[in-house]
Formats: sequence, C-alpha cells, structure tokens
Amino acid sequence: MIEQSSISPSSEAPLLRVEGVRKRFGGVNALRGVSLEIQSGEVHALLGENGAGKSTLIKILSGVHVHDGGSIEIEGKPVSFASPAQSRNAGVAVVYQDLSLVESLTVADNLLLGREPKTRLGFLKKRQLVAQAEAFLKSQNIPLNARAMVGSLPFAYRQMTEIAKALMGDVRLLILDEPTSALTDDEEKILFEAIRAVAARGVGVIYVTHRLNEVFRISNRVTVFRDGQNAGTFVTSQTNMRQLVGAIVGPDHAVLKADGEEAGQCVPPAAPHGSSEKPVLELTDVSNDRLDRTDLALRSGEIHGLAGLIGSGRTEILQTIFGLRPVQSGEASLDGVSLKGTDPAAAIRQGIALVPEDRHVQGLVLEHSIERNLTLPRLPYFSRLGWLQRRSASEHANAAMRRLAVKAPGALTLVKNLSGGNQQKVVFGKWNEPRPRVLLLDEPTVGVDVGAREEIYGVIRAAAAAGSGVLLVSSDLSELLQLCDRISIVVDGRITRTISRAEFGSAEDLHHLIQLSQPSEEHAA
Amino acid sequence: MTDTESPANAPMAKAAANQPSGRSALRHLLQGERPYMLYVAFAIMLVVFSLASPWFLSIDNFLNIGRQTTLVSIIAVGMTFVIISRQIDLSVASTLALSGMSASLAMAFVANNWVVGALAGLGTGALIGLINGVLTTRLEIPSFLVTLGTLSGARGLALMVTNTKPVIITNEYYFAIFGEGSVLGIPAPILWTLGVTIAGILLLHYSVYGRRVYAAGGNPTAALYSGVHIKQVTTLAFVLTGTLAGLASLILSARSHAARPDVVQGMELDVIASVILGGCSLFGGRGFVLGTLLGSLIIGTLNNGLVLLGVSSSLQLVIKGAIIVAAVAFTRR
Repeated sequence: MIEQSSISPSSEAPLLRVEGVRKRFGGVNALRGVSLEIQSGEVHALLGENGAGKSTLIKILSGVHVHDGGSIEIEGKPVSFASPAQSRNAGVAVVYQDLSLVESLTVADNLLLGREPKTRLGFLKKRQLVAQAEAFLKSQNIPLNARAMVGSLPFAYRQMTEIAKALMGDVRLLILDEPTSALTDDEEKILFEAIRAVAARGVGVIYVTHRLNEVFRISNRVTVFRDGQNAGTFVTSQTNMRQLVGAIVGPDHAVLKADGEEAGQCVPPAAPHGSSEKPVLELTDVSNDRLDRTDLALRSGEIHGLAGLIGSGRTEILQTIFGLRPVQSGEASLDGVSLKGTDPAAAIRQGIALVPEDRHVQGLVLEHSIERNLTLPRLPYFSRLGWLQRRSASEHANAAMRRLAVKAPGALTLVKNLSGGNQQKVVFGKWNEPRPRVLLLDEPTVGVDVGAREEIYGVIRAAAAAGSGVLLVSSDLSELLQLCDRISIVVDGRITRTISRAEFGSAEDLHHLIQLSQPSEEHAA
Repeated sequence: MTDTESPANAPMAKAAANQPSGRSALRHLLQGERPYMLYVAFAIMLVVFSLASPWFLSIDNFLNIGRQTTLVSIIAVGMTFVIISRQIDLSVASTLALSGMSASLAMAFVANNWVVGALAGLGTGALIGLINGVLTTRLEIPSFLVTLGTLSGARGLALMVTNTKPVIITNEYYFAIFGEGSVLGIPAPILWTLGVTIAGILLLHYSVYGRRVYAAGGNPTAALYSGVHIKQVTTLAFVLTGTLAGLASLILSARSHAARPDVVQGMELDVIASVILGGCSLFGGRGFVLGTLLGSLIIGTLNNGLVLLGVSSSLQLVIKGAIIVAAVAFTRR
C-alpha cells in the first residue's frame, strides 16, 4: 500500500527521518508504523482524515507522547523525546492552532518572554529588548513590527508572531498544525510568504492541514496518512487533487462496503417521507455575521448531513438554529413557528436539542455528577412549582444511563472521571427525553473510541427512527455517508449543494465535492 | 480544532474512575466534596476553648456566640449562592447599613409600624442586590468591581441621609420580632438564622433554581447551551444576598434600638471567609449552605474563645487571619 515517491535520494542524511513509528493508546492503534522524511529547506505537507495519526505523530515529535516502536532520527542521530523540552533542545518547534501569546504585550515582549534582557538589578532593558527582537525578525525575513501590541494585530500576523516565537533559538524543524483555519485569503498569502522565507533559510517545515488547495500552494512534497499508516508520499508538482483524495480516503474504504448493508437499515426512515411532506425545520435565506443566505429543509425522521471544511459555517448553522446566533435576515421556522429572536432556552422549549462540538466546554459541567448534567436542560420536567422532584430526576438519570449504556459506577459519578465516549453519551442523554423535534449534532464522535462510536451511531439512528429530524455536522465523511439520508455541502456560510443517498458515491467523491466547491481557487488538479 | 486524533484521554479517564477509594481515604477527608476536616477542626477548637476557659462551655455562652454570628450567618447564606454562581458581593456590609437607615427612617417618617420598617429595609437590600446583578450581567462588568462600587456608594448614601447621625427606633413590636423576643427560650436572632439557613438549604439543594445556580457557576457555557438563563440566575443570587443583608439590618437595629450609618464596616470579609471556609469554591459550581453556617460559627467561636482567653484584640485579628488561610488551604481542592 505504501507508494514510494521518486524524490531525489540525497546522499546525506535527511533532516528528519521517521521510520516505522508505532503508538498504541490502550486498545487503539493510533500509529501502525508510519514513515516520513523531511529535507532541510522543504515545506512538507501532512494530510489525512481525523484519526489518521497526524496529531499523534506531531505529539511524538514534540515530546508530548513517546513512541512504542520504530525509530526517529534527526540529521542521522537517533532521538527519543521524553519531554517537550528535549524536543525543543533538539531543534523541533511546534506551532499549534490555539495561539499561546500574551495579547496585552508587544510582539517583542512576546518573543523574549522569560528571556528578557535585564540589568544587574533586575530592571528591564526595554530598548535592548526591542532591538533584539527587531534584529531577529529581520534575520528571519518576517515582516512584523516588534513594537505592535499583539492583541491589535490581524490573525495572520499573530500566527506569524507565534511562528517567530517558535523560531527563537536554534530551530531546524518547524511543525505547523493547521495554521490557516481562521485566516482570510489575503492573510493566508502573507503567512505563506513568511513560511517560505523560513524554509529558504534551511529549516524543514511540516505543514499539517485539511485543505488540499493549500497543499498545492505551499508545499514541495506531501505525505498522506490513513488509519495510522502511510498512504503515499508525492512530489506536489507531480500529483493532483484526485490522487491525493484517493490516498486520503483509500481505494477500498471499509465504510463503502458497509454502505450496502447500512442502506438496508437506513432506507425505511427515509423512504416513506416524500419530498411533498412539510419539513419540520426550514431555513430560507437566513443570514447573519457568519451565514450567507442559507437555505435548508429538514424532514422529520431524516438524518441530514452538513459537510464542509472547518470554518465553513457548519457549526454556525447549528448555533443559529439553536438561538445562539441571531437570524438577521431571512426566515427560520420549526413546525411553521418562527425561530427569530429566540435564545437557547426558548429553542429547547420548542423542541430543539444541540450536542455541541466541544463537550468539555459547551456540553458538560465536568465537576458535576452525571445526574446533574443529564437533568440540566430538562429541569422543568422534574419539578413541581419550582421544587425539584429528586426521585424523578434520579430515575430519569438512571434510565438514561441504562439506555445509552453509560459505563460508570452510578449516576452520582462525576462526569470528569468518565472516558470520552461515555462523556459524549451523557451529552446525548441530556436530550433523550422527551424526544426533541430537531436534534443538532456537531462532530458527535470526535475523540470517541471505536466501540462507543458504533453505540452513538445507534443512538442517532434511534432518534431519527422515533421521528426526530437530525442535522449532523461531521468532518468524518465516511460517518456522513454511513448515517445520512441527505448531505448538504456548506461553503462560506451557505449551502451550495444537497445530494441524496442515491447520488452519494464514495467518500472520495464527497471529498472532491467539498474541495471543488471552494470559491476562488485555482488548484493544480 | 476538531482534529482530536489522540484517544489517549480515554484510558486515562478510565484509570481515574477506577482509582482505589481506600488509598485516598485521607485525601477524601481533607479535600472531599464536603470538608470533613472543617468539622474536625471545629470540634478541636471547641475542646481547646472548653479546657482553657471555664466560661466557654455554657448554654449562655453558646447563645452569645449565636447572637454574635447572626448577621454574618444570615448574609453568608445569600453569599453562598453568589459565590457558587462564580460571582462575589463585596457590598453586603454597606447594604446592611443603608437598609437599616431606610427601615428606621420609614418608621420615623412614614408610619411607626414594624411592617413598614421591615419592607423598607428588605426592599432597600433587594434593590441594591438588583443593581449589583444587573450591572454585572447586563453590562458585563466583573462583580468584584460592581460591588466595590456599591460598597462605597451605599455606605456614602447611608452616611448622607442623616448627616452621619443615628436614627432612634421606638417600635416595640419591631424590637420583639427582630431583636429581643424569644420562643421557648431561643432568642429571635437565632431563630431568624435557623429559618434563613433552612430556607437556603431548600432553595439551593431542593429547587430547580438551586440546580441552575450550580450549573451557571460550574460551567457557564455548558449551562447556556443547556438553556439556563445565566443572567437571571445570577441576578437573583445578588437580589437574595441584598435582601438578606436587609434582614440582617433589621436584626441589628432592633437589637440596638437605633440604626447607625457606620455599622459593621468590613463585615463582608467575615461573610466571604465563612462561605469559603464552609467549602464553597471561589471558582464556582461547588458549595453548600450548611457548610457556610459552620464556617460562620467557626469564625464566631474563634472570636468568642479568644476574647474569653483574654487575647488582645490586635492579636485576635492576626490569629483569625492565619486560621482562615490555613483552613482554606487544607480544605480546598
């Protein structure tokens, strides 16, 4: 399965050589032996679906995890990082998406944070600090104003400050983890130039992304991971989008085979509902700060997928329906009742439920018990005149735990002590009774292991079979193909296309559809 | 952002759930959901004071402690709601002073009727609480700053209305109900404390509102996503605290037959210390009313015992401060 690319085999050792690296987490094989070679001065893109192993490899390279097998060499010397500090000392720097800058300080302050030049009495040498930072930025060809306040900078420049900070010291390998997901086109151009300047100085760059278009604009070579293994390494100028998509989703995708069987189970809910039936949820020309004339019709009993890139507005569609974002123009209605001017409390009363993207921040009170979390959105159902009916609340919690097979000692177990999959089941359980009219799901299986994932799929299908309309946002295309009756493609806050099960095709086709729907892109396909 | 490939968390979380409970029994005692260590400390303190002072262990003295801690205990019940919902109220002592002035002036100028006085006092407290709540939630000013402002403003108003002079109260019913009366030998202030504590327990632990207070403080985002009106919940906690400060002002002024504008300065610190001693987390989401009452009693007993032992009032402050910090350090998670 590993395609060997015809990259010039250089005589000297590459900057980084990863050879057959393996990593297990409990019962999960995150990496089953991946290999990667980075030359100094190249920008090497790393592609793969969620769970393909990109993040795991990066965490190994940055010293967060230690690999179980295989070898890692930097300039020919075998290394194994027990801590981020060791990785850093070996010249590896990682820039994560979530920025780690102090916004109320200047660029110079941030670059030299903790290493400020100071007098013998401990006073800051302000002028020298700025001079040092400016000299460094100049030496790196990074167009940043050292005196600018970080909080006042556009996102691309903050990202660039982050890169500059990562480059302080002797950096030979720079790893960028999806640096562009929040950038505009212009900002992206500025950032790409800065990255090229860094590479031109002989630093090797690993560029992790979901966006295939970027690969063609920034990288020299590209490696694709799939299911913890290599799925091919290509010279960017000699490949095209179809080849890359093929490598990402795989030729004989397991899901596509399962598809036939799944279809048998899935047809009943979809078939009886003709297009003539009035949809339970309807969006017409809905716009706000993130949505641009979104149209959507969700039928009862339907599982409707929203596919698109991160930042395309999928999450925002759900948030708007749930009353977290205003409907500024257009019309949104549930069973013919307008959703304008609602808030989450009103949306819940109308029968809308949301399983949010980040269960730790948005879905759960981690310090509280399962019972408290399960009953929170439905408290009025367990109360009389404002007094909590404790027994009925705890009966509800126990029933929900049984139905969803939540593995925990009891309903009073704190949610923070549960595994990711069980936590997610608790989030689903919050909305189980009474049945919501519309169930909004945002990346419901992220960070959930395989077994719990199947159970969650069962819960989703059961909700649809019981008559809820389900709107499912997922970056896992095989998940969408497996579950959905219809899939809509979201681009820049609008739905550009909706396809039904008959037109589905493979995950590869869907991937194409998403990538090709991107506006203003001239890709090398 | 959604690229969470590492399933590493799952096994780790499982390991945490399976942790043997026996091994951590001591840790549980020190840091568990309820601060049992606090009960132990309270008991030790009672024993030490009993041995050191022959007067400490008497019913009269305990009634004395009860009366002395009434004001703090009553307001601390409200403060428990505020702190669980991740806020703070520094204005309670000033609110008490202004409410007392308002109650006594209403009886002096509107009608010399205890109901009029009570309504004026409670209403003033509730109003200041409402102002605190609205400024905090609608203008999104941190409650620390809002209530720092009302701390100063309410005290200033209290001093202004009579040009710093006290207002004499002459209503006998008022004295009896809030200050000097008793039922079955239990003085009215202690009955009020018990009543407020029981009501607080019911509201926090047995009502829908209580659950929402915990959720709003435990994780405001998750609470919002679950349809909790965080602003209303938080505002109501401030109104509750202000109203209880108003009730405390009635008790204080009934006891001294007058309302004075300069009373109980700095009492907010004792109130907050009681709540934190009682096991509330300053980061919200955790705490319980009975713990708060115990926290207040500990501070009151400490004051009382140190006086009986003849410790100088300056040294009392130092000892009190050290014990509060030590107790919180031991009981916090």
